[in-house]
Amino acid sequence: MAFQSRKKFCYFKENGIIDINYKDVKLLRRFVNDQGKIMPRRITGTSAKMHRKLVRAIKRSRSIALMPYVDLGSE
Amino acid sequence: MRYYETLYIVNPNLENEALDITMGEIGTQLEKTKSKLINHRVWGKKRLAYQIENQKYGSFILLQFEGGEQDQMNEFNTWMKLNNSILRHMTVALDDKPEVYEEKVKEEPVEKEAPKGASEETPESDLEDEAVVETASDETETQPDVTEEESTEETETTEDVSDESSDEEIKEKEAK
Repeated sequence: MAFQSRKKFCYFKENGIIDINYKDVKLLRRFVNDQGKIMPRRITGTSAKMHRKLVRAIKRSRSIALMPYVDLGSE
Repeated sequence: MRYYETLYIVNPNLENEALDITMGEIGTQLEKTKSKLINHRVWGKKRLAYQIENQKYGSFILLQFEGGEQDQMNEFNTWMKLNNSILRHMTVALDDKPEVYEEKVKEEPVEKEAPKGASEETPESDLEDEAVVETASDETETQPDVTEEESTEETETTEDVSDESSDEEIKEKEAK
């Protein structure tokens, strides 16, 4: 085999995180691309259970303006 | 009874006295719903991810309480919406009873004390800004391989060993 991709793992299970708080912007930023879009599970490797919690937290922090709906980068 | 948490953004141009008055108003308004206030504190002035009412910054205030009568909570919500000094608010149900925020830490201007689970994010968010700046500077030096983990580690180490690193820098300069 010429190329073998690194094994994906769930960041939350690996670090023992049970609850994801919407105020923890630093953590949530890891799972969002530079446009502010939520990254798919197939790329981040997050487990289904934690991905559901993650999505809810990101959407909450968007609605209170802690995270952007659309990040155009330049201001 | 369930526990709730309301995070609301107040106009950042309000002075401290005016901010205290609005916080007091909100507290009295919430007590009309027979809710019990647990925490009511300023989380800090932050940059908004997008402009709200032409404001780029906002003072975030965290309000945690034990739920009262639900019918009157709707009135409280509409009251919050109609209040002009509040840019936005959001109420979220909590899983557990929130810990009482200690008064001593509240009086100190330093937010990096992190006395409670929810407020631990404030120093982290500060760190994040530094991390973003550092990664950006690294990219300009054509080092695209710098990952997020490395950048966070850098910030942590720089904060922990700030005195030593400064000494080292001085030594390096002397060596040059």
